[in-house]
Amino acid sequence: MHINYWKELKKNSFGKIGLAMLILVLIIAGLFPLLTRYDPGEPSHSALNPPSSEHWLGTNDVGQDIWSRLIYGARNSLLVALGVGLFTTLISTVAGASAALAGGLYERIMMRMVDALIAIPAFIVIILVAAYVLPNVWTLIFLISILTWQGGARIVRAQTLSLKERMHVYAARTFGANKRYISTRHIIPELGPILVAIFIHSATRGVFMEAGLAFLGIADISTVSWGLMMHYALKFYYLEVWKWWLLPTGLALSVTIMAFVFIGHAFETAMDPRLRVMEGEDWQC
Amino acid sequence: MKTAKISTYAIAFLIILSLNFLLPRMMPGDPLTAICGEEALIEMTPELRTELMHRFALDEPLGKQFFVYLTGIVRGDFGYSYYYNAPVLEVVLEALPWTLLLLGSSLILSTLLSIIMGIESGWRRGRNSDKSLLTATMIMNGFPNFFIGIVLLLLFGVYLGFLPLQGAKTPYSGLSGLNLMLDIARHLVLPLTALTLSQIPSSYLLMRNTMITTLKEPFVLTAKAKGLSEASVRYKHAGRNAILPIVTTTGVRVGIIVTGALFIEMIFSYPGVGLLIYNSLLMRDYPILQGAFFIVTVFVIVANFVVDSLYTKIDPRIGIDGVEHAH
Repeated sequence: MHINYWKELKKNSFGKIGLAMLILVLIIAGLFPLLTRYDPGEPSHSALNPPSSEHWLGTNDVGQDIWSRLIYGARNSLLVALGVGLFTTLISTVAGASAALAGGLYERIMMRMVDALIAIPAFIVIILVAAYVLPNVWTLIFLISILTWQGGARIVRAQTLSLKERMHVYAARTFGANKRYISTRHIIPELGPILVAIFIHSATRGVFMEAGLAFLGIADISTVSWGLMMHYALKFYYLEVWKWWLLPTGLALSVTIMAFVFIGHAFETAMDPRLRVMEGEDWQC
Repeated sequence: MKTAKISTYAIAFLIILSLNFLLPRMMPGDPLTAICGEEALIEMTPELRTELMHRFALDEPLGKQFFVYLTGIVRGDFGYSYYYNAPVLEVVLEALPWTLLLLGSSLILSTLLSIIMGIESGWRRGRNSDKSLLTATMIMNGFPNFFIGIVLLLLFGVYLGFLPLQGAKTPYSGLSGLNLMLDIARHLVLPLTALTLSQIPSSYLLMRNTMITTLKEPFVLTAKAKGLSEASVRYKHAGRNAILPIVTTTGVRVGIIVTGALFIEMIFSYPGVGLLIYNSLLMRDYPILQGAFFIVTVFVIVANFVVDSLYTKIDPRIGIDGVEHAH
């Protein structure tokens, strides 16, 4: 049975709101040069200024324009979302599908590995490794993906195993289709919806973890990251600056995460409910 | 099959062990700094240097170093923090009770609340009360845990001044007995609320979904047909059976809640292991970072193992390899 996911997504009110929020963030990130005349990294002599017609959201402790940092920060979060989403989905698919298709000892070793990794709190491990490595955006994407693919791999394996047993795959096999034909023409295309769900989930996790690490101070100081902005802003929470520094940044981050959460929820509702793959899977781990 | 389960957790433990051993030794620069922390450099004399090189066997091959490292851990020796001027284990153990208090109470509270909310919401599926609860939780799900903490901090720091914002008890107050317990409870309110609010959404969504599926089962119809009261059907029959996925995910939830506690403790300066890890990040106090990391991850792995071993007893339908069969 074929479901028009796009149509289903637009019917669901969470899906509609999520899409709208994501499009908003995308537009802001894309139109960055039109929305501000300040360089987000450029310090100035007017530090901790309240909002004015000059600086819409005031300036931070080193005199950088907060509004331009806020909208430029969207690019960083979206880049991490895309990077972690794609890379994690790729590793999950390769690991899970190959385990299910190859079977035998390889499958046993692979799934034992997945089970072991699931028992380890990934975010804590990422914090430790990042504390030593001090990653830039690209190494961070790599690091998060390489430590969080296990949940997705388990789902892909389960789904591949069930697809292998479907009638039309049997039919293809009786007509002499080999393993490669079956996996490229039947299994992988039919994994599609599951992979989209894993992508959305991983992207959410990527945004959260990047912001979380930066919030703890583990980030390249030159990156314009919402988490890093909150890290510095929190030090001044007792001053009035939180109103235009800490709060808008936290809200921008939350809107982005919320957009992904809503879209993910709507997408999974549109899928066969029995395939609620991310049920109980928390993007916070 | 039992050995398969044990070996899974043994592998997890080995991964943590080797990560902890290899990371500081593979970093560019002086491994001694990466093992002893930057504070140690200030006190570093040539004699101390030779002694430390010898103690960690850094002049020996990696295999020998690993052996020395392992024997240290077995003896409970996680190194020495030059920042706190105390053994790592001592510093971590001092912080651990606060984290356990925060973690334990939040785990219990968020589990109970999400079970009740999930049962009520699933029972009323599609009605207005269900829709508004679902929407509210979905919105809450979009907020990262540290932002929830920040909002509470601002709300109570700026507008509502009646709860303490920092620490776990009033320093030098000389309180004892019941007053001390009340003081600790008051300090716990904000961190606990923040942590619990961030934990509820995923458990609630899981509980609500399972409840909806369970309500379609024939035994619920039987219970209704017998003329049992609504509350009895809802809680004793459907609710009790829908709880299982919440129980099986407890291990994973402990992992998430530990990570959440790290952020919440940092925001409210709550003196647990999370704050310890955060401070060691700032101070480049690597011995504490490693020791705390090791103890926390092993704690989570053990929690996973315990839950994993228990739930086959709760529901014999579940196979040894777990959750997948529940669907």
